[in-house]
Amino acid sequence: MSEKSVEGKDERGVNNKTISLPVSRVKLIMKSSPDVSCINQDALFLTTKATELFVQHLALSSYNNGSGKETNTLSYSDLANTAEETETFQFLTDILPKKILASDYLKSLEQMEEDEEN
Amino acid sequence: MASSSGNDDDLTIPRAAINKMIKETLPNVRVANDARELVVNCCTEFIHLISSEANEICNKSEKKTISPEHVINALESLGFGSYIAEVKDVLQECKTVALKRRKASSRLENLGIPEEELLRQQQELFAKARQQQAELAQQEWLQMQQAAQQAQLAAAAAASASAGQQAGSSQDEDEEDDM
Repeated sequence: MSEKSVEGKDERGVNNKTISLPVSRVKLIMKSSPDVSCINQDALFLTTKATELFVQHLALSSYNNGSGKETNTLSYSDLANTAEETETFQFLTDILPKKILASDYLKSLEQMEEDEEN
Repeated sequence: MASSSGNDDDLTIPRAAINKMIKETLPNVRVANDARELVVNCCTEFIHLISSEANEICNKSEKKTISPEHVINALESLGFGSYIAEVKDVLQECKTVALKRRKASSRLENLGIPEEELLRQQQELFAKARQQQAELAQQEWLQMQQAAQQAQLAAAAAASASAGQQAGSSQDEDEEDDM
């Protein structure tokens, strides 16, 4: 039951008919959701595959939406912007503090420390 | 990399799996580290989202277990309807794989060997393995002993050789005194 992934042993490139994410981990995460009790095994497979599609979808959308095409990079802000602009990804805005860059945050921390010293 | 804090909220999909998927989706694209971290967390968030929604649908249907139908409806209602076709395909594939596996194991059962016989054979194999282990261990022990003995002999030989030299030199001194 604790199979990590259901996969076709023949890796013909990206085989869409298989699952690459660890099903057992997905199950653990699902169970940590409040009130979720029993999950049918097939439902678990579905959720795992859906999560994979989500990753691909998120990565592609963010890349296409953002400035990534010129720089050929995918950055944090690409993701954050996509989350904000795409309706289906809006549930992510809670975990995406978009506007604050780490460097800005550090600056504001330093500022606070200076203020305290003064 | 996996969280060891035991806190349920820290459960995430392994980073390596995500990295691999991103690589396959966006080959030749550089992805910032904090972006990768973010995707990992988004996954967890997504799973919670689907679980909660499916759970609600399940509760409404008065069933106790979340079924594939519930998950599919959840996807639809959350705006991920485009995933449904592919997801269903995978389900079919998984069922086929599981079926093959069950057939394979039942073929084993159908060899006609009763369970007690299989158990007996297993015990035999274990006993053999244990015996081999014991013999190996004994051999190693003997070898060690022999090596230790040889080392002792060598040390004793060296000691007596140097002792002999000393005895020789003290004899010389005696002779001088006598003269």
